Amino acid sequence: MKPQLTSAEASLPAIKQTLRGLYNSYGGMLLGYIQEVIKDRATAEQYLAELFTDLRPAELNEILAPGTNVFCRLQLLARKKLAAYINSVGDCADKHGASPPKNIGGNKFIDMMSHEQQLVFCGVHYHGKSITALAAELNQPEAAIRQLLKESFTIIRNNRDDTGVH
Amino acid sequence: MIQEYINSGILEAYITGSASEQEVQELLRMKAIYPEVNTALQELETDMERIAQYMAVTPPIHTWDKISDHIDELMLRQTSAPTQFIEREDNNYKNFSKPDTGPQYIELEAESNHMKVHKTWKWVFIAVFVLSKIFLACAIYFYLENRQAQQQLNDLKTELHQLKK
Repeated sequence: MKPQLTSAEASLPAIKQTLRGLYNSYGGMLLGYIQEVIKDRATAEQYLAELFTDLRPAELNEILAPGTNVFCRLQLLARKKLAAYINSVGDCADKHGASPPKNIGGNKFIDMMSHEQQLVFCGVHYHGKSITALAAELNQPEAAIRQLLKESFTIIRNNRDDTGVH
Repeated sequence: MIQEYINSGILEAYITGSASEQEVQELLRMKAIYPEVNTALQELETDMERIAQYMAVTPPIHTWDKISDHIDELMLRQTSAPTQFIEREDNNYKNFSKPDTGPQYIELEAESNHMKVHKTWKWVFIAVFVLSKIFLACAIYFYLENRQAQQQLNDLKTELHQLKK
């Protein structure tokens, strides 16, 4: 069971201990994600440190709330933090399919996706774009974008057992 | 109908944070009503973790040290934060209090007996300590050597005097 911080327990030593636990469990995964977006190890480490130091007790409680996926919550916060950086980098792939993905390399799941799926998945996952924004950008209905995103996840799910990660 | 909702891609949009506020509210409502939605969402969250585990990079030790130092600094600030000034009932300090101007504080110089130093100084202190022990051992060794040499010199002088006689 995930430890919830009560208002009495929300002292800095307790927060530090909770953060240490989160960092040990998810620090590597978050750094991998941030590094994929930023492509610079030192800056990615800086963002990771900031992600943890900027966490407020209320956010921590949200992350640790029962029924919440801790990693997905932390990743959403990381995505928010990266928003400024994300807006300044290019898209994952050329919209017309003329060039291969620019920013995400070495991810076998993404390599398996079609060009459109790559655009949508990278746009959402790495560049924090909304479905509405992507629909407007790609001149397609929102339902089609959602469908492409779903297909991307189906590819990941169908191939996840080949990764050797358990 | 539920399967149609699950297959619409809205769940994927939700966990990637790309869904609109209206879609989020709708999904939370559906999640509370239909366990199938909750199950599908959990599966997706597992997928997200799988991708992340696949691309995970072990952070260097100093990254946690930075976070730890930051929290320690906050703790130090918290313990040495100034206490709010409360007006005394006898009104002896009436003139110092200005009503309706927000919280009043008395500025005092911190009288903490503790000094905060960077963690790297730990190694400097250890090195200084070890070096001082080495110097002390050397000093004792050379002192004893010197004393022994002096003793031998005196013995030789005595022998020389005796021979001269």
